[in-house]
Amino acid sequence: MNPRRFFRRKYWDAERLEEMQSFIDHETEDNIACGMNAVEARRQACLKFGNPQKVREEIWRMNSIEPLQTLLRDLRYAWRSLLHNPGYTLLAILTLGLGIGANTAIFTVINGVLLRPLPYVREGRIVHVLQTEQKTGSDDLGLSVQEYSDYRDQSHSFSDFAEYHSMLFTLLGTKTPERVVTGVVSSKFFDVLGVKPVLGRLFVPADEKRDAAPVLVLSYAYWMKEFGGDPGVIGRTFEMNDRVHTVVGVLPPLPDYPDANEIYMPVSSCPYRMDPDMIRNRDMRMISAYARLKPGVSLREADAELNGITARMAKAWPKSYNGWKAFAASAIPVRQELTHGARPTFLALLGASGLVLLLACANLANLAWSRQLRRSREIAIRMATGASTGRIMRQLMTESLLVALAGAAIGLGIAAAGSKLLVAYAQRLTPLAGGIHVDVWVLLFGVGSSLLAGLLFAILPAIVASRTRLTALNDGGERAAGSETGTRTRNVLVALQVALSFVLLTSAGLMMRSLYNLLSVDPGFRPAQVLSMQLSLNWTKYKKDSDQLNFYHQVLDRAESMPGVQGASISWMAPLNENNPTFNGPVKLQGQPLPAGTPAPNVDFETASPDYFRVLGVPVLAGRTFTESDGPQAPPVLIVNARMARHYWPNENAIGHRLQPGNSDKWWTVVGVVGDVREYGLDKAPSDTVYVPLDQNPIQNAHLLVRTRSDPMLLASAMAAMIHQIDPQQPVTQVRTLEQMRAAQLGTPRVTATLLSLFAAAALFITIVGVSGTLALSVARRSREIGIRMALGATRENILQVVLRQGMQPVLAGLVLGALVSLFATRAMTQMIFGLKPDDAKTFMGIAALFFVVALVSCAVPARRAMHIDPMETLRSE
Amino acid sequence: MGKAKPANNDMLRGTLDMMVLRTLIAGDAHGHTIAKIIERTSDDVLEVEQGSLYPSLHRLENRGWVSSYWGLSEMNRRARFYRLTAAGRKQLRSEVSRWQQMAKAIGLVMGETMNEGGGE
Repeated sequence: MNPRRFFRRKYWDAERLEEMQSFIDHETEDNIACGMNAVEARRQACLKFGNPQKVREEIWRMNSIEPLQTLLRDLRYAWRSLLHNPGYTLLAILTLGLGIGANTAIFTVINGVLLRPLPYVREGRIVHVLQTEQKTGSDDLGLSVQEYSDYRDQSHSFSDFAEYHSMLFTLLGTKTPERVVTGVVSSKFFDVLGVKPVLGRLFVPADEKRDAAPVLVLSYAYWMKEFGGDPGVIGRTFEMNDRVHTVVGVLPPLPDYPDANEIYMPVSSCPYRMDPDMIRNRDMRMISAYARLKPGVSLREADAELNGITARMAKAWPKSYNGWKAFAASAIPVRQELTHGARPTFLALLGASGLVLLLACANLANLAWSRQLRRSREIAIRMATGASTGRIMRQLMTESLLVALAGAAIGLGIAAAGSKLLVAYAQRLTPLAGGIHVDVWVLLFGVGSSLLAGLLFAILPAIVASRTRLTALNDGGERAAGSETGTRTRNVLVALQVALSFVLLTSAGLMMRSLYNLLSVDPGFRPAQVLSMQLSLNWTKYKKDSDQLNFYHQVLDRAESMPGVQGASISWMAPLNENNPTFNGPVKLQGQPLPAGTPAPNVDFETASPDYFRVLGVPVLAGRTFTESDGPQAPPVLIVNARMARHYWPNENAIGHRLQPGNSDKWWTVVGVVGDVREYGLDKAPSDTVYVPLDQNPIQNAHLLVRTRSDPMLLASAMAAMIHQIDPQQPVTQVRTLEQMRAAQLGTPRVTATLLSLFAAAALFITIVGVSGTLALSVARRSREIGIRMALGATRENILQVVLRQGMQPVLAGLVLGALVSLFATRAMTQMIFGLKPDDAKTFMGIAALFFVVALVSCAVPARRAMHIDPMETLRSE
Repeated sequence: MGKAKPANNDMLRGTLDMMVLRTLIAGDAHGHTIAKIIERTSDDVLEVEQGSLYPSLHRLENRGWVSSYWGLSEMNRRARFYRLTAAGRKQLRSEVSRWQQMAKAIGLVMGETMNEGGGE
């Protein structure tokens, strides 16, 4: 069969018709030649030829591709019947489109973050080796150089073992002095990841030697941003830490993991790492370890081996691990580290959007079903004229699939727009957000899920159609809508919808309340109108304590004399900064000797200049703040927070007590007690904190905090200019207001809550449409019965009661079912909510009440119609 | 014109394609001529049913065994002429040999009956 013929059927039909005409003409002439008259000759010719229509049909069929023809016919018919009912069609397409769009948008993120392979070789074998201890929970303690060497030298589970840490260094040689995020790695690091350079070379073991010439490798992003992808960058030199470094290679694009490093240097170039004290001291943990598992070694085997080494270490150096509980090492696959922040959130969102789609399908099924019942007369006629059940089912499927595909088109549009917004959101949760875009898998998912949805909502009407009996011809099909089983199925459908949306609503409710809890958390300071910027001093330039203090004092003096500034302070951290490293250690308290074997209490430390508490608005509860007189030579003083004061001096005044921070040999006197501050996050409770004065505890990395009279950002550039007047080479980074930091902390829960609430609102709406639609249909169907009841003396109140009860029964059943399901489903959210439990009774009751009221209101419309049925009219019309 | 219809028209249907091709060996012809030639050369035993001639021609053309063009007939009328293509010639050869094998086989099977019938 020549498929080209298929498109030329009309042409061939005309050709053959003309040809057959020519045959009859010839035959006629033959007949005339045989002596017939003209009329008889033509008649005989026609008789001889027979029915040309039959021949035409046969040739037409020969030119046809049967299944395609049927499909086209089905499509044409579906198109017409959908156009015939534009309201239904539009509603169905929009509902599906929204459902598909939400699902596909979320899937785009999941595809980019959770499903796409990482740009590493055999990523499943790459692990991060971490040390944990009971006090830190699952947080990595980090490794000291000594510990790293132990793991590297004693383990046999890994084919490559590499060390890593990240620091900020000043890079000189570009247009302006720059603080660059620098990954400091051993030469094996890129072998562990299995990464090849796009330009030049990566590190070799020779680069790790103490006297090796300093070399640098650029990240792809930094190469593009700073050098516009110029290959001539290889061989260029830059000054860092007073040494000349040569660029030897460029990395391919990689996720910002373990950190958003702009350049990499070998361990030999990092002055901190190479400090003999750092190498010797087992307790200074500043590096991490990454490793590649040998083929055939399982994670569990690697863990077991690592813990064997841990146990040996604890035995060999009891002083270092004194009092440690549950000290353990473990190998965590890097994929898990890269995605654990995003996984629960996006899976929950996919679940939510999936539920919305399911609800939409249920509603569409209901809608299509009602439509089908009205069409049962048409179906009966089609069956009576010879259509098989299969043929009719196929016709109905074609209709729903057509709707589904239109829905997919809309959905993919929504997804393309929505996933762009979601990228910004995902960036907070995972370094892999850069890989989020619409690809073939997303298209397949969108089209696939809409086809599935189309099938789902076509099944009910198709079953109804297949049961259609020819009796439908008698009563116009309306009566079929009243069958008992139909009502029951409908009610089950409604109850399921209610249950599903209840689950969604409670999840959204929990997220909203969690967000509200976060919003109403008192951070312990006033974030409004405070500007924060990071000042990391170049350690080679500010070696001496006095140099550092001198610089800070100049900055503070000039800042305070600027117009619009209410106060300025220098501290080690800015509160609520997501990147705050924890700085804690043990303290000894005078007069509170520890029982033997008990570890010293651990507290957080913060360095602060005198104005710090005033700038942040932290209340001084007792004693005084630091003053200018708490200088380097003055007796050492410190301030504790209220929590610590309560903790260690519960029934007395903390002022005057003395304590000794772990690494100090002096006793420091408590001179003040201040309010608790949430340093690390709104959802992290304040811990025992000790503040020490800047002058007595100089620091290289600091934050300048400035309280302003008006919008703090207006002063940002003036501040940077002022600092550059003091030291033109001093980088000023992370210029933000504390309010922005607070908003950033709230960003993720806010978007999650908003998205979930949107889904929940959509679910509620869809369900309510279902509830009231079903009731309205039933009222319309029972109008005669209601009329009779009224005629027999039922009051309007009776009717109202009957109708409302009928409408609310499936709703109540659904609420009970939904509450039961929610009890289990919301457990998955434990990690995502703050300040309440996943089975929070208030939320459950609130949502149930909300649902009940909304459903009742939606039932009121059909109920009102039922009350106003005129018995006479109804009886007459039947 | 009123000829008795041969009883085994079905057999004709299967071999019609072959006969049409055979007819065209003599030269291009249009549908009417083809039908007439088949009828005449079979001593009017085979009556070509028009209902199958045109589908047959269409099929042959579809398969590329004949090509067609519009021309003027001997009666000076427009008619569609068919011409045997090289592929058609090849097809005819294989059909003929197949037919001969078949005829021979049928002849072998039917030989006794025919002799008996002839003997009666």
